[in-house]
Amino acid sequence: MHKHVLVPSVAVTLVTMLMFLGAPAGLQGQTPSREAVEEAARKASPHSADAAMEYWKAEIAKRLAEATARVYDPAKPAVSNPPRTPWGAPDLRGYYLTAMYTPLERPEKVAKPLYTTEEAVAAFRFATTSDAGVDPATVHYDWKEFGMDAWQSPVRPNLRTGLITDPANGRIPPLTPEAQKRRADAAAQRRQRDPQTGVQIFGNLYTRCVLGGGAAPLIDGGQPGSDSAAGAGGVTTEAQILQTPDHVVIVQQRNTDVRIIPLDGRPRLPQTVRQWYGNSRGRWEGNTLVVETTNFSDPSPATNFQGSTDALQLVERFTIVDANTLRYEYTVTDPKTWTRPWSVEAPLPRIDPPLYEFACHEQNYGLINLVMGAQIRATEGILDPRDPRAASQTAPR
Amino acid sequence: MQTRLKRVVMAAVAAGTLLLTAIPIAGQAPSPAGLSPSSAGVSRTEDGKPNLNGIWQAFNTANWDILAHEAQAGPRPALMGAWGAQPGGIGIVEGNELPYRPEALEIKKQKLANRMVVKVANDPSRYDTGDPELQCYRPGVPRANYMPFPFQIFQNREQIMIVYEYKWSMRSIYMDSKSEAPVDSWMGWSNGRWEGDTLVVDVKGFNGHTWFDRAGNFHSDALHVIERWTPSGPNHLLYEATIDDPKVFTRPWKMSFPVYRRLEPNLQLIEFNCVPFVEEMMYDPVGLYRPGPRKAK
Repeated sequence: MHKHVLVPSVAVTLVTMLMFLGAPAGLQGQTPSREAVEEAARKASPHSADAAMEYWKAEIAKRLAEATARVYDPAKPAVSNPPRTPWGAPDLRGYYLTAMYTPLERPEKVAKPLYTTEEAVAAFRFATTSDAGVDPATVHYDWKEFGMDAWQSPVRPNLRTGLITDPANGRIPPLTPEAQKRRADAAAQRRQRDPQTGVQIFGNLYTRCVLGGGAAPLIDGGQPGSDSAAGAGGVTTEAQILQTPDHVVIVQQRNTDVRIIPLDGRPRLPQTVRQWYGNSRGRWEGNTLVVETTNFSDPSPATNFQGSTDALQLVERFTIVDANTLRYEYTVTDPKTWTRPWSVEAPLPRIDPPLYEFACHEQNYGLINLVMGAQIRATEGILDPRDPRAASQTAPR
Repeated sequence: MQTRLKRVVMAAVAAGTLLLTAIPIAGQAPSPAGLSPSSAGVSRTEDGKPNLNGIWQAFNTANWDILAHEAQAGPRPALMGAWGAQPGGIGIVEGNELPYRPEALEIKKQKLANRMVVKVANDPSRYDTGDPELQCYRPGVPRANYMPFPFQIFQNREQIMIVYEYKWSMRSIYMDSKSEAPVDSWMGWSNGRWEGDTLVVDVKGFNGHTWFDRAGNFHSDALHVIERWTPSGPNHLLYEATIDDPKVFTRPWKMSFPVYRRLEPNLQLIEFNCVPFVEEMMYDPVGLYRPGPRKAK
């Protein structure tokens, strides 16, 4: 197996470049299969899987021990007397981790909403160890080398098996017929390989540095595993909350995106004014900050949160549970997309300051290579190798 | 009572300091009219500091040129007509003179000549030409403060955050901190303190890619800005900045202008996420924007 292999970043970069730019000119017409390219990358690694894993074992054990001591229990009541700002509001100010290994949807093979503590630790251990492994053929950066992987942060195990609390089955509710058609059309369009592709076809707004987190709640659940969202996300899934008497500001490390939330009860923006992060209005309900957001823009639902539309309504709730934890809940409603609203609950652990400037667009060197690579791949009729459908794709025509 | 007395004394000290500094020296531009520092009507935070929370904006034409300049046709008059034209202005630089080193003055001229030459590359050579503003790059400090966009101040005792509508860029000012910039950045690293009613901000740690204006006035990564934000009534601030950059200038120099509180009820910043606005300009010339044949290099 090649699961736990670390390779120097240079080798990874070279291999990645080869993958995107295709084979050298002399080899045109006999492009090696994805499997062959990846296997070559693994062979190029000077490290054996065992040796590499050995290197991280002590740190993983330490982090696991720390994490098991702070398993999140959603039943734990929030403190009744949270710290207060000088002007008397519950003091949410601080820096928080938004990465987690708990998946958004309850895994199908898990029949219950809550693990026992032992099961939660076991699931966390599995996720952490998978995340600590690196497949040299698919990873671009090895974050853990810099202490930036999710398991190297104060990420916490959760008694919840999945983050969705409503519906009761822990799954995203069924799509409306309209949304099903939209999704099918988008998938069909993606299968059209246009050799004349360009920046605009990139559905991922983060790749274009338009948005960091996307027009979305602060958390989207974890997808543990090597090269995972939680793993790579460890570096950027951080947020700062700043308060004044009449505003809350949420800054996300990703793309240094900022949300400004007035608390003064002012009217909403007209429906005609749409924003990437929507238009938020906040208020206090007891010790809980409630933020309601509408007016999301809708360039194409494919780029929106979970394929939602401009009809999306997001209600978020922030509650201080204890000195180290903020409880984050949200409910999404979009009658154009889902047959009913659905809700999520997750812990946001406090982390140390500060956030850093993430000037994404200013140094988006990668976009050039990505688009050029996509153009070449499209010409060759090969899907992006990271596309899961590419695995079943046979040699190019 | 004690606090109030302290405020009065501080205000007096601040006023005295400003009186002293306001004595004109040869070649110095007069302070902006009507902006004598005044604590009258200035709202206060719970710790007695001037309350800067709110939406503010400078109203001048310094983003075109920080020096005095006449009105001109814009860069693409055939297309943009009066929309794209540059209004004249009296400038914001004291003495209306920038003490460039001779070699730096040449660079300034080149930057002006190439201000619309955008060359996208996957290496730092992309910063060599073209005004960063044109490409939706972060504007840096002090430029962010006199762009034709509002900005919003969020004030805490420990930290003051400014969110600029342009590019939705932001900066945190760490109060009473001696923190060093952990890494160079576009907006720099800001440490602040109160001197009486004046917010003094020391900004360093710039990456050297930002400009002062569309006229090619520039600085290096050695830029050191000391900003002074002084209330002069409930709805005005006097903004002053001392600019030091020994790699580019022979001596420090000063700029100043008023900043006005925006008073529209329910005003809010409206996202100006300009990345989608510049993608065609940046990526089309290299054949990466819209579906179409790749252009030969």
